[in-house]
Amino acid sequence: MRDVYQEQLDELAGALACMCTQVADAMRKATRALLEVDLQLAEEVISEDVRVDEIRASAEEKAFALLALQAPVATDLRIVVSAIHGAGDIERMGDLALHVAQAARRRHPHPVLPAEVAPYFAEMGKVGVELALKAGNVIRTRDLARAAELEKDDDAMDDLHRHMFTVLMDRNWSHGVGPAVDITLLARFYERYADHAVAVARRIVYVVTGQMPGPLTV
Amino acid sequence: MPPPPLPQQLVELSELIGRMCTAAAGALNRATAALLESRERLAVQVVAGDEVIDLLRAQVEELAGDALLFHSPVAGDLRAVVSAIRTAGDVERMGDLALHVAEVVRMRHPEPALPPEVRPAFAEMGKVAVHLALKAAEVARTRNVVLAAELDTDDDAMDVLHREMMEVLMDERWPHGVRTAVDVTLLARYYERFADHAVVVARETVYAVTGQEPDALPI
Repeated sequence: MRDVYQEQLDELAGALACMCTQVADAMRKATRALLEVDLQLAEEVISEDVRVDEIRASAEEKAFALLALQAPVATDLRIVVSAIHGAGDIERMGDLALHVAQAARRRHPHPVLPAEVAPYFAEMGKVGVELALKAGNVIRTRDLARAAELEKDDDAMDDLHRHMFTVLMDRNWSHGVGPAVDITLLARFYERYADHAVAVARRIVYVVTGQMPGPLTV
Repeated sequence: MPPPPLPQQLVELSELIGRMCTAAAGALNRATAALLESRERLAVQVVAGDEVIDLLRAQVEELAGDALLFHSPVAGDLRAVVSAIRTAGDVERMGDLALHVAEVVRMRHPEPALPPEVRPAFAEMGKVAVHLALKAAEVARTRNVVLAAELDTDDDAMDVLHREMMEVLMDERWPHGVRTAVDVTLLARYYERFADHAVVVARETVYAVTGQEPDALPI
């Protein structure tokens, strides 16, 4: 019996890690669609978001089955509760990648981003994708050192986000209000995406140590 | 001391979620007043008050954890506990968004964050959002699924307001410059997200009560 139980817990973690890979892929593609003004790629991200939602639904079913049939206690209970939280966070990451793709689609065939801010978004995309993959890795391995790395990566995202605003607020900003509005929202999507990845890793820290790491700055 | 019986814990969970929603509604109400009237002290109060919502969330998680641990609930009871855990996350986020509004007020003070012509739209967004949060509180307390279904429709008003605000910003004649446009963009987004989370609270309640997503119900 115990083995089936352990297998179910592993499957649950596997489903969440798989969601992470999916949303990392979605953000990679969405960023490329944004930078390369690629409508087809944007459409792909938009239509593939249901997959993330499906894995979330199946992860939640697994979590419910575990709670109902195995009545886990202690660490195992924390694992299942964290998985429920994590599934919500990762699904939201998928939504945010979707929002990026939608922005690319909305302005097509025009680029959303003026050339001089494109490199920042390339970087935000890279950091975001990295965070999602690391979160998946932390779910699989429960490696606390790795979990701590996410906090640092998130600082890099916050720096990029802050810098983006400096660029927008600069007197020399020559692209007017419309692109500034788009960029404001896009930068926020990347920042929130990163926050959710960190939240996932923090839940794992909580599973392992029984304690939440310090408060997440939002 | 033995834990309280499950039905009592479930009532307490609903009550806590209701209190969280009411607190979030109050926070956004004050944040909106601070925004419209550039009242810094009120904004500071909102920022400081967010702790209350976070504490309520911690209480929900603890109580829900106890319920799972001591009673191993199944079926509808299990859904109620899990949906309380998820809902608490949404309402905490509503509190954060009210706090973000207040932070913009504080950051721009003594300048008003909003130019006069968009204030009525924000007054309206505030009204719709606060109303949604109060309704979500009632749904959480009463588990009334018919009332819950109303929130989806109420949220449409927010989406319309949000879209209109984006059009105002994108208008080439926008005279207030980029910085104000960036503030208005983010502020509008905070209200929209606040409303979205209130809708999720209602949907979660429907799910907890019926075991189905609201779309599947003939209401």
